[in-house]
Amino acid sequence: MSKRRKDPADLSANLTSLIDVTFLLIVFFVLVSKINEVERWQLELPSVRSPLSEKGESEHRVVINVIPAPAGRVSSYRVGLAEFAGDDAGLSSMTDHLAGLYQTSPSIDVNVRADRATHYEFVEPVLQAVSNAAHKSGAAGVNPRVNLVVTRGS
Amino acid sequence: MTAPDRHPPSHAADDTSALRPLPAYLEVPEPERFVRPRKRKPMLLKINVTSLIDVTFLLLVYFMIATSFTSSEEAYRTDIPSREGVGTADPFEIQDDPLRISVNSTGLAPDMYRLQIDGPYQQPSTFDDLYTFLSSRLVRADTTGGLFEPNHPIVIQPTRTTRWEHAMQAFNAAARARYTNVTFAKPG
Repeated sequence: MSKRRKDPADLSANLTSLIDVTFLLIVFFVLVSKINEVERWQLELPSVRSPLSEKGESEHRVVINVIPAPAGRVSSYRVGLAEFAGDDAGLSSMTDHLAGLYQTSPSIDVNVRADRATHYEFVEPVLQAVSNAAHKSGAAGVNPRVNLVVTRGS
Repeated sequence: MTAPDRHPPSHAADDTSALRPLPAYLEVPEPERFVRPRKRKPMLLKINVTSLIDVTFLLLVYFMIATSFTSSEEAYRTDIPSREGVGTADPFEIQDDPLRISVNSTGLAPDMYRLQIDGPYQQPSTFDDLYTFLSSRLVRADTTGGLFEPNHPIVIQPTRTTRWEHAMQAFNAAARARYTNVTFAKPG
């Protein structure tokens, strides 16, 4: 009587749910990387050595991007998704916009992001606009605070 | 003439003639068996997903490595002087003369700048020298000497065409030296 050979055990795994979860993760990472780009205009920020700056991710914050133009000039100012011209009229409109934001939320922080090659004469008016907006809003408890954004250098 | 023999030879068990094959005219075809039509199995469409899983995992690893949840940006928190009504300052308060640091960009390169400190001080040539100057003259609780209190007003005075990075580097030098009252002046 011959012994019957046992077939080797067939090990199979159902990968359907694994693929589903993997695709969900991919979609998540793609969306997260897009969301971060909305507030951050592609700028070459000033790089400083051994800064004592903070990471400071404030809940209530407004980001002002100083959009550069050639030769250190400025083409426009962008506050969140709103864009303002890089001239006095644009600064005035931006001041009004910031005043509205201060009325809504007096404790907001304002992040100022400017390219390292931008001339100071185009950045200082932004700081002044923040101060004017705080005064113009008339909201109680407004303490205009600006975060000057840099990157960590070598 | 005799009638043809209509009776075929017998097929008895003991009849040896049964072993002989029947003549052709006597062969009766076997009746067809009734075969129930077999139900056809539906065709299975198979997709080999092995390479799909490989590519998917590669994409996942790429995005996990490339996506950064932490911000590489940092910020200096600066209080902008809010404009209040005229006459709110204490008239008897003696204001310290601010230490003015002029910053001028002399070219397009990051290392093309000039620094100047108002007063009878040795002029720094780099931002590191500026930091050394400020840090050495800071009044500290644990050491004697020092010239400026930590809250001594320091004003960074860039020119109109000073690059923003040079203005920020001067600000950073003062902040690194632990001064707490550092402001920007209007472009001069």
